[in-house]
Amino acid sequence: MSVTKACAYHFNVNLMGRAFLRLQRWQAERKAATGASRWKSDYLAPPLKIAPRTKELVARHWLQGRYANLNRKVAWVTSGAPVELLKALDFYVLYPENHAAICGTARVAVDIAAEAENAGYSRDICSYARTDIGTVLSGKTPVGKLPKPDLLLACTNICQTVLQWYRVLAHHFNVPLILIDTPFVYYGEATDHAVEYVKRQLEEAIPVAEKVADKRLDERKLKQVARLSKLASELWLEIMERNQHQPAPISAFDEFIQMAPIVEMRGDAATVDLYAALLKEVDERIARGISTVKGERKRLLWDNLPIWYRLRYLAELLAEHGIALVASTYTNAWGELAPLIDPERPFESAARTYTYPILNRGAGHKLATIKHMIEAYHLDGVILHSDRSCKPYSIGQIDQRDKLIRDCGVPALLLEADHNDARVFAEEQVAHRLAAFVEMLE
Amino acid sequence: MQTPPAIPHRSEAIRAYQERGGRIAAVLPIHYPRALLRAFDLLPVEVWGPPQVDVSYGAAHLQPYVCSIVRNALSFLQTGGLDVTDVIIVPHACDSLQGLGSILIDFVHPNQPVIPLYLPRGRRASDTQFLAAEFRSLHRRLEEITNRSPSNAELMTSIRREETADEWLAQLHQRRGQLPLTDVQLYRLIRAREYLPAEIFSESARATLALTSPPPPGPVRSSFLGNGGSGPTLWPPSLVGEGLGERWHKGIPIILSGIVPEPMSLFESVAEMGGLVVADDFACCGRRLYPRGSSDDPFQHLAENILNAPPDSTRGHSIQERLDHLIRLTRTSGAKGIVFYDVKFCEPELFDLPILRKGLQAAGIPSATVEVDIGDLLSHQTLTRLEAFLEMIGHGWR
Amino acid sequence: MMKEVRALGVDVGSTTVKMVGVDAEGNLVWHFLEQADPRVEDQVERFLARARHETFEASQTSKVWNAPLVATGYGRKLVHWPEGHRPATRSVTEITCHAKGIYRELAHGGTLVDIGGQDSKVIGISPKGDVVDFTMNDKCAAGTGRFLENTAHRLRVPLEQMGQVALSASEEVAISSTCTVFAESEVISLIAHGVAVEAILRGLHRSLVKRVVAMIRTVGLVPPLMLSGGVVQNPAVPRMLEDETGERVIVPRYPQLMGAYGAALIALDLR
Repeated sequence: MSVTKACAYHFNVNLMGRAFLRLQRWQAERKAATGASRWKSDYLAPPLKIAPRTKELVARHWLQGRYANLNRKVAWVTSGAPVELLKALDFYVLYPENHAAICGTARVAVDIAAEAENAGYSRDICSYARTDIGTVLSGKTPVGKLPKPDLLLACTNICQTVLQWYRVLAHHFNVPLILIDTPFVYYGEATDHAVEYVKRQLEEAIPVAEKVADKRLDERKLKQVARLSKLASELWLEIMERNQHQPAPISAFDEFIQMAPIVEMRGDAATVDLYAALLKEVDERIARGISTVKGERKRLLWDNLPIWYRLRYLAELLAEHGIALVASTYTNAWGELAPLIDPERPFESAARTYTYPILNRGAGHKLATIKHMIEAYHLDGVILHSDRSCKPYSIGQIDQRDKLIRDCGVPALLLEADHNDARVFAEEQVAHRLAAFVEMLE
Repeated sequence: MQTPPAIPHRSEAIRAYQERGGRIAAVLPIHYPRALLRAFDLLPVEVWGPPQVDVSYGAAHLQPYVCSIVRNALSFLQTGGLDVTDVIIVPHACDSLQGLGSILIDFVHPNQPVIPLYLPRGRRASDTQFLAAEFRSLHRRLEEITNRSPSNAELMTSIRREETADEWLAQLHQRRGQLPLTDVQLYRLIRAREYLPAEIFSESARATLALTSPPPPGPVRSSFLGNGGSGPTLWPPSLVGEGLGERWHKGIPIILSGIVPEPMSLFESVAEMGGLVVADDFACCGRRLYPRGSSDDPFQHLAENILNAPPDSTRGHSIQERLDHLIRLTRTSGAKGIVFYDVKFCEPELFDLPILRKGLQAAGIPSATVEVDIGDLLSHQTLTRLEAFLEMIGHGWR
Repeated sequence: MMKEVRALGVDVGSTTVKMVGVDAEGNLVWHFLEQADPRVEDQVERFLARARHETFEASQTSKVWNAPLVATGYGRKLVHWPEGHRPATRSVTEITCHAKGIYRELAHGGTLVDIGGQDSKVIGISPKGDVVDFTMNDKCAAGTGRFLENTAHRLRVPLEQMGQVALSASEEVAISSTCTVFAESEVISLIAHGVAVEAILRGLHRSLVKRVVAMIRTVGLVPPLMLSGGVVQNPAVPRMLEDETGERVIVPRYPQLMGAYGAALIALDLR
């Protein structure tokens, strides 16, 4: 890293960029405070006050990314990856899934995915992957510019697809790919040899990452990062659990947006501070009787990834009927494993923490989790998003729905769509199904 | 002219084995330790679909974007197709098989015990260690179910029997040019490995190979079948071109790559169009040319067999390794083009395709892709694509 | 005086059936087109009778019955010669035939896009006229004439006028669904919301063309871009294709006959 490059990085990111983003946040906060917001809704609570701050944090992350190749080593990682190791080695960590979700929310995913499709990638593969490969091939992105990776890290605890996808990236960028293969947990517990296998892979990842980073791993730093990860996860879990309150102070839609830091900046002190502030705001709402849906009558759970390009549409559709989406298995995934993280024994605990995400566990386990959440959050029904792009999350939903309806007497809707590909979203049909489901809830 | 030996049907093989007092294990795709099951006197019978089932049963549990191999397997189970089996093994080759295993264990609850088997996705020492441990775990489970306890020596005997069969299988692949068989006959024999006891398969293969002239030497040591770590090298030069002339003039030589050649009428259709399959890269066939292992520990040995097999999209190979393998296969077999014959929705295959096709193009090897639902008869569209491809690469051939 | 028909080609499509007769030099000297009849054999016989009748005065013999016939298209395997007549019938796919036909017609390689009623294809043709790559969209209506038919019929614009109306629109509304069935729902919804017919129609054409362009990109666009097939008669399609690709689009004299023409040329080679 040359001095010129380091200077360029610091100038753009820490001086100009930081100032600009702070200005934007200040403006947004002022606007919200004076009520001159563009947000108008009879049914939905005003936006969270913390929103501009989260936006600033996320924007700063992508701004750092834009200049990262100047000054740092860059790693692209999967959302379930044991990222603490890389953060302790000071990698700039980028999540292609997050980037793809941003493209989805910004409604540019289809256009970008088309670049991958034109290069021969089938429309039957995951829409996150198509969006990412489309960006890689065309350079198109709403976040300015993505830094090239020096290292790739793929963990199969969310699906096998990421491995296929990251092999494409490895071929394209010609950089090392670290694989952390986490055997699927079919039964209640992972086998000892599976945990041992994951632990060994984590240990063997260290020299590979060190070589790319050109640094030695500092144990203390690792423990510090693990500590911060745990703190952030615990705070996130608390925030979600506040929604057990009736009426719910925030919605799962809010959570989908606010979860960005726990996914892509887990291990940062700023993330801990942010969630501490968000928790405070949630408690304030409870104290002041502000609920996410005015006149909340029914409470639902969302299973699977969100439909990124239709969040507001769905929120309003449900809110019109006094229905609040208060919980989701998806956002829950980033909090429920917090207790497993042991900052004093980062590798031992990581082997388990990263083997047990909900997506790496059986269909029966997910059903049990949903049932538990129905109880804990006082829920009236479940929407199971049958996401065409996400087989691990979607396979089993038909049986889960049947069992929820028959065994638990809970209305459950199977909604066919895709988390990022708007062409698969049939608006008329979806509205129709939701309307019928809403009637069932009465 | 001698006729090739008759191959027993699946149901015959099952009945014969049961009459001897043995039991049956239904095994889903793709890789699993045959020798381990046989050591428990369980005959592994693989479930690739099958094509002709009432799919509404599977559709009641699986969304339409789940592949037809998985959907048909579930339908088959639910319509009694697996009633003759005593245990069901579900290896983990992809997200769809993962889902199937999970649904079977948590929701469907078939009469037979369902045993999942995780295949690691790398080829590192840690992967071998894990897979060996996974096999030990399977061994323990089978002990509980069968009340048997084969010794290490018995395991090694079983392993050697399977390795011998795999070497005969490799010879069938290699010497196909000299065999007086049509493609469909050849593949019926190759695919009999999915259900015939190894020793019976070996005998059938040997008898078939005896129909070539001159008859082949004994099973060839597998220097060509793989050598752990650096990837397999195929087709020792001395065997290339031998007798290939005989079959070559009978068609435009192509390679088929994909998961499974279903429906089998594919081979008849290709022959009718003037094509000839000179090699394959099917997960079901060419990618399961398992090399010998070297360890004295049976579980380690079994892990080596599988981890050193040819490049496979569902295991620990980079796209470049797959590409190199396909190019080598093309050069040594004399194929004029490659048809990627994939089951619709198969993500492991679909992700690799663009880079593979581009690499093949750069190497001057034309390719085409076809996607099928294994339950359907070959559609007009699929047939037209195959035919158009053969016309394209056969230009000047006839 | 009409030249003698020496070879015949028939393209049995799912929407239309076309037959072409060529002379000894391979010039297209006779053709006929009809809506497809499920009873393919009868239809082909009728075509042959017609061919014989129309060229009889020129030939003064029944040479047309001895002319070799090559069949292509969806129903090519259903084409048989009537009893008692010798010359061979061969079937060749529409990929090879279209390439042959367009190459003869335009005398250069490039990228041929054929948009039919129910299927579409893109064929890469070498400077020598060989097929080097191809892709076919034959499983769903998106990117075919059927897409326009199914989605636009609600707009109550006759098929022949659709292109004109689309081109006359000053605005365009984007149709997000690629599936014909869902796109139709979208159209109904748009009509209900009072969106102008022309704008919707233009958007539908855009969807069709974008789908075709995606196919072109998978094969790779090697100019010049050539167009064939029934849908080409819709003036909006070539125009929008030029817009989307930035390439000039060349349309042969008889865009619907390229398959049958190519088949006839192959038949001529068989003599």
